[in-house]
Amino acid sequence: MSIGLVTYPELCHGCGNCVVSCPVNSLNSPEVAGGKGPRYDDDMIMVVEDGVVTLKQTDLCGKCGTCVDACPVFALKLENLEDS
Amino acid sequence: MPKHIISGLKYLAAVELRKNGYNQNQIAEILDMNRSTVSHYLNGRNISVNSVEVAEVIRDFCRKDFLTMVYTLLKDVNQTRTIVKICSNTSYKSNIGNSCIACGICSDACMMNAVVLDDLKAKINDEFCCGCLICGEMCPTNSITITEVK
Amino acid sequence: MEMTDVINKDISVERTGVELRKLHFNNDLCAACGLCEKVCPVTAIEVNPTGAMVRTEQESSNIDIDSSECALCGMCSCICPYNALNFDIDGESIKESDLYPRLIKSSEIDEETCIYCKNCELACPPKAITIARELPVRSKLVTGEIEIDKDTCVNCGICEEMCPADAITLAYKNPTSIDPTISSGIDVNKDSCVYCLVCKKACPVDAIKAVCRTCSYGDYDLNSEDFGTKGKTFINQETCVDCGWCEDICPVDAIKVEKPFEGTLEISGETCQGCETCIMACPCNVLSFPQPEKSGGKVEKIHKDEKYCIYCGACEKACPVNAIDVVRTKINCTPIKSKAWQKAFDNVLN
Repeated sequence: MSIGLVTYPELCHGCGNCVVSCPVNSLNSPEVAGGKGPRYDDDMIMVVEDGVVTLKQTDLCGKCGTCVDACPVFALKLENLEDS
Repeated sequence: MPKHIISGLKYLAAVELRKNGYNQNQIAEILDMNRSTVSHYLNGRNISVNSVEVAEVIRDFCRKDFLTMVYTLLKDVNQTRTIVKICSNTSYKSNIGNSCIACGICSDACMMNAVVLDDLKAKINDEFCCGCLICGEMCPTNSITITEVK
Repeated sequence: MEMTDVINKDISVERTGVELRKLHFNNDLCAACGLCEKVCPVTAIEVNPTGAMVRTEQESSNIDIDSSECALCGMCSCICPYNALNFDIDGESIKESDLYPRLIKSSEIDEETCIYCKNCELACPPKAITIARELPVRSKLVTGEIEIDKDTCVNCGICEEMCPADAITLAYKNPTSIDPTISSGIDVNKDSCVYCLVCKKACPVDAIKAVCRTCSYGDYDLNSEDFGTKGKTFINQETCVDCGWCEDICPVDAIKVEKPFEGTLEISGETCQGCETCIMACPCNVLSFPQPEKSGGKVEKIHKDEKYCIYCGACEKACPVNAIDVVRTKINCTPIKSKAWQKAFDNVLN
C-alpha cells in the first residue's frame, strides 16, 4: 500500500502551519526552522503558494503526520494513494 | 473413455505387480478390483488393445504429467498414488537445501505423501517420490532438488 | 445516536493441507516497528509508514500481508516482540513448540515480595498491569475507648465536623415544643474511629471521654497479622511490552523483566527537529520532551531513557529525518534449529 500526502486546497486557510511544522522542511531550510516561509521550494515538501497549500517535493516526505496534526482545518491528510 | 484408460492403467499395474510376484488376490486388493477381472486382464481378456496403448503413452509422459493425468482420470488421490508408484520404475534422490524455511507448502502439494517436516526442515522420503517435481516448483525458497537415480 | 464504525484491521492468512496453518495479525498490539518485514523470507509483509499509522487516522492496517506470497512459515510471529502476530499449526500456537525459536522475554511480579503499592500499574506504558488490593481493616489497627455523655452534649456538631475519620454522626431534626432539641442522638462508629482524640479536645462542653490505648500501651493488644495489605497482581502477557518500567519503578524489587533484544539507541540532536513522531511511536515510553528548569532554558531536543528500550526500531522507522539509529546486537531467543531461520533472524541484527 502507498500512503502519502493529499491536500484539500478548498479547506486551506493558507496559515502555513504545515510548512513550518514539517521536520523535513525545517531541517532543509534555516528560514523554515526559524518559523518563516522558505525562500526556495526545491527541497520543501509543501509551501503556501497564492495563499493555498501546494505540494512540492513529496518524495522527501517521511510520512510522520506532523503537518496533518498541525493543520487547523484538515486541509492535509495522509491517505492511501491507491484509493484515489 | 476415461474408464477405458483407467482399465488400461490398471492392466499395466497388474502386469507390473504380477512380475514382482504378487498373486491375483493381492493384486485385486492393491488395485481395488475384483479378482476375476484381474485374472481376465492377466490373461489378456476383456481389455482392449487400444486402452492399453493409450495407457502406455500416458505412462511414458513426463512424471508430472503422468501423475496429474492419472489423478484427473481417477479423481482419487489414494488410488492415484498406488498406480503411479507401481508404474514408475525410476528412483529419485532428493536434496533439501539449507534455505528451507519449513513452510510446509511442499508437503501440502505432494500427492505421493512423500514430504514431511522434520526439525524445521522438509524431508522427502525417496521411496515414495514419483519425480513429479511439483514440490520444487511450489517451494518459495527454491530449496528442493530432485535427481533421477540412474 | 451517532455510531462510529469500528474497522477490523486484523488480518488472517491460512492454508489447509497436511496441517492447518494459520497466521493471525492483531492490529491493536502492533507498533509498526517493521521487524516482521525484515524477517519475512518471501517479502510478503509490507509495514506501512509508522508515523502515519500512529499519528493520523488510517483505515488500513499497520501492515499488509500478501496472502499469495505468504508461505505460512511462522517467522514473523516468532520475531514480533509485541505479540501482534500469532501462528498456529492445527490450532496450537508455535510459541508452545520447542521446534520453533521463541523470544526470551518476560515480566513477572513476585507476589511474596510485592507490597501492592501500584507504582507499576500506573507506570506501565500499555497499562498491562492490574493490582487488586485489599486494605487492612482500620478498626483492627487501633484500639481505644470513646464515650459521649448525652446529658452534657449540646448537639453543637463540632466533633462531627472535625472528626477526620467521619466516625461521628448527629441525628439532626427540627426542634418542636414537645422536644426542643435539634438532634435526637449522637453516634460514634467504632469501626471508623481511630481514637485520635480531636473530638475530645474540640468539644466545648467536655462531653466526650476518649482514650487511645495504642498511644498509652503500644500495640500489645493488636494482632500484627491484621496490619498487612493483601492483594493479587496480574500482568496481561499479551499487551505487556517487557519494557522494564515496572521493574525499575518497583520500590521493593519484586519485578523481574527479561528483554527480547539487546542493542543501542542513538538520537542525533542536530538532525532532530522535535516533531514528536518517535515519542508517539514508542510503545515503551522511552522518549520524551524534556522540560527546561526555567522558561526559555535550553534543554536537549529529545530525552531518551534507554533502560526502557527493547530496540524494536519503531522510533527509527517513524523518524522523518533519519535522526534515530537503533542497532540490535543480540536476539534473546531459544535455540534456532534451522539455518534458514537463523539467517532470517540475523536480518534484524546490524
